Amino acid sequence: MDDDKMTDEALSTLKLLRTSAPSAEAKKFALNAAMVAFDAAQPKAAQPKRNWINRWMLGAGLGVPLTTAVAALVLFPVATQLTATSNHLVGVPPKKETTVASVDEPVKTDDAKAKVGADATTSTLKLQAQTQTQTPVLEKPVAPPNTTVAVAPTTTPKDAEVRAVTSGTVQTEEALPEMDQLADAAPPPAPEAINRGIMVAPKQSAPMTANATMLGGGLAQPVPYQPSGDKFQKFDENRTKVTVTEPVSTFSIDVDTASYSYVRSTLKDGFLPDPDAVRLEEMINYFPYDYPAPTSLDTPFKSTMAVIPTPWNPKTELLEIGIKGYVPPPAARKPENLTFLIDTSGSMDEDNKLPLLKRSFGLLVDTLSPNDTVSIVTYAGSAGVALKPTKASDREAILSAIDALYPDGSTDGVDGIALAYKVNAAAKGDGTVNRVILATDGDFNVGIDEPDQLKTYIKTQRDQGIFLSVLGFGRGNLDDELMQALAQNGNGNASYIDNFQEAQKVLVEEGGANLITIAKDVKIQVEFNPAFVSEYRLIGYETRALANEDFNNDKVDAGEIGAGHTVTAIYEITPAGTGADLNDPLRYGSSSVAPAATSDELGFLKIRYKAPEGETSKLITAPITKDLVTTDIASAGTDQRFAASVAAFGQKLKGSNYGETLSWQQIADLANGAKGTDANGYRAEFVQLVKVAALLNPDHAGGARSIYDDPTGGKIGPTKSTGAKPVGH
Amino acid sequence: LTPDVAELPARAAVAASNLSLVSRAKAGDRNAFSQLVENNYDFIFRTACKWTGKKSDAEDIAQEVCIKLATAIQSFDGRSAFTSWLYRVTINMVRDMQRSSTRRDKNVDAFSLVHPEDDPGDQEEATTARELWTAVSELPEKQREAIMLVYAEDMNHAEAAEIMGCKEATVSWHIHEAKKTLRGLL
Repeated sequence: MDDDKMTDEALSTLKLLRTSAPSAEAKKFALNAAMVAFDAAQPKAAQPKRNWINRWMLGAGLGVPLTTAVAALVLFPVATQLTATSNHLVGVPPKKETTVASVDEPVKTDDAKAKVGADATTSTLKLQAQTQTQTPVLEKPVAPPNTTVAVAPTTTPKDAEVRAVTSGTVQTEEALPEMDQLADAAPPPAPEAINRGIMVAPKQSAPMTANATMLGGGLAQPVPYQPSGDKFQKFDENRTKVTVTEPVSTFSIDVDTASYSYVRSTLKDGFLPDPDAVRLEEMINYFPYDYPAPTSLDTPFKSTMAVIPTPWNPKTELLEIGIKGYVPPPAARKPENLTFLIDTSGSMDEDNKLPLLKRSFGLLVDTLSPNDTVSIVTYAGSAGVALKPTKASDREAILSAIDALYPDGSTDGVDGIALAYKVNAAAKGDGTVNRVILATDGDFNVGIDEPDQLKTYIKTQRDQGIFLSVLGFGRGNLDDELMQALAQNGNGNASYIDNFQEAQKVLVEEGGANLITIAKDVKIQVEFNPAFVSEYRLIGYETRALANEDFNNDKVDAGEIGAGHTVTAIYEITPAGTGADLNDPLRYGSSSVAPAATSDELGFLKIRYKAPEGETSKLITAPITKDLVTTDIASAGTDQRFAASVAAFGQKLKGSNYGETLSWQQIADLANGAKGTDANGYRAEFVQLVKVAALLNPDHAGGARSIYDDPTGGKIGPTKSTGAKPVGH
Repeated sequence: LTPDVAELPARAAVAASNLSLVSRAKAGDRNAFSQLVENNYDFIFRTACKWTGKKSDAEDIAQEVCIKLATAIQSFDGRSAFTSWLYRVTINMVRDMQRSSTRRDKNVDAFSLVHPEDDPGDQEEATTARELWTAVSELPEKQREAIMLVYAEDMNHAEAAEIMGCKEATVSWHIHEAKKTLRGLL
């Protein structure tokens, strides 16, 4: 017995086994995979799921169907992992239908077929293993973009080879006896059964997925992808209006560009964005346009107008209104008082969030002048004042304060936003420009839970001279709608920062524009002349529409323009008498009477704005004359042509009812020919983005698949695919 | 989270929250399921880690357990504690993984999870534990499971029996057999 005790003691040292922490990456994959599997198992898929289980329980002896069914069961999750893993596997987003389709099949599968399948599986695995050994480093799935299929997320090449080959051969043979065992064991507990099944499956389904992918993505129709959690305001596209009945169009300007960076980020990750994430005006306004600038602050901005042929519709024209804000000379620059309110919740602990913010911060500090003050308040994690108001000349202090920030779990109840305003108010000086800049990935637990209360609070602070801007980071948790709303109420901008370059653009290049407001509550009203314009449609600005009567109402809030900002608005107009009208003339209405051509103007532009501290608006007007019309698109300015290409891209991307007639290639060509000097390469990047979109959602004409090839007739997924749509769809 | 919260109430709280999450997840609540997996991932991983001795294998297993939970959650009937059930699910997965490959035979390179250099504390004992683990990993499946549950996871025979799905006496017998083998090795 002493002997036994000794062994006992020795064995108890097993308790000291140390395990390392799981890697965050592996955990994330596992969680994602679990969620995909969970979704697949929910009501929509309830029927198939029950089938699988039934086959497990009842048809266990059949063996073959089982294997297939299990492979199908897990195909979906694995496919998702792959898509999530290697971003370059574009065009094949997770596809539930694939799974369902193969589930119906297994019953018919005969032995021979299964055998062939098994062989194929084995050889694929071998092939794959070889590929892997040739690829030097593929430890982590995210790292090398070229590893087609990592069997399991974390394996060394050598390991993978051994496992792949063995599981390929052993598995298929072993799977059958196991089924028999199950059958013998009568009704075994379900977990056991499923356990085996899923265990077996991933190894077999991985190559299947690989094949599907290699086949070129023809199997799956792209579906828009939106990481669960990001929220966007839903809106309907502006409709075409009849000039006779609604001659006046009113909207607030919008200088935000968040939509474009968000769209770019999703496309670059190989997904199509949610249609509501595509806001045309923000796409168009992302790019710098070389409009002539006003010469004095008396008229803080200048408008540039042109009418060019519509690239996507030969019968209509585009009225482009470009507005450029005044750039005050450096000497006139007022000292800035900036308070950063930074989200340090646990979710900010991702490379493209807090660490990116930290890296970008140095850029911003470098652009400040010594008299500016910076302070930092954090919330949702390490909460409190991280940096008291500090002169920008003390660069070191500012940078070390931002560097010391770390993401933490969630600590509620700290009144972050009030603290930020308090700190900012304390640092107010004579003639300082005061602003709180909220940086977050979507956690708005800043101390005021109710969004409406929060907006009101921000408005109150705005009225006391402290503006608010919002910087959005990361994906998956982003509340775009609230972000926009807060910034609008705080007379600031909402920007979405997806990479270092974008940080540079937002904080440095446009730093001045984003921080120095030269005019606020800027509203635009256009009245069209029915004698020349029979119909019109405003492209974008859906979320910024104003009632006509609000134009002259100074109480109604609108967008701000910063130093040097450019804003572009585009109307698609139908010249009268071309017969291109979407609306039939009224049978009984007054429109049958041709309006008198009392003037030779196409329309009239009115802009209302307030000085940053003013409460009464001023009015700028300009007639839209016929000499603005260019009949040949080639002779239109590069800015105009480029803006048109962005509009075309956005419309096509969001499956708009208008302007889908252009192919991606045509859009890319249009943009490519209108790059101008493009000093920062934004336009060149845009052309690349069009090409990515083309890969994700190929044009039918390009020989790729479209809804016509889809047996479901495109009923699955909300995408409208490309090209013309079937009648009645 | 404050670190100084007493462990026991914390455990009870975790168990309670697990149960409520399970019932919500069973009803199709996405967030609840997400939370449940998130809460238990580390547990699954660490268990898999101890049993396989390899981080990469443990991550594979943990991932597959997570995927499996999506459907298997429906079969959790609350007769046993959630963690016991999860043990069973995880250990089954380990078993299947090891059965289905020849890895186990090649796996004699011992418990390689924490490099001694990374973990200076209790160096000697940790080394003993690793050596012991290697010996245990060579045992027949059932014996190995019994030993790991009773000694590495510090359970009594009844708890181990619940997880292994056998009688308590069977666990005791496996332990007895395992010790006989180990005695010669240690």
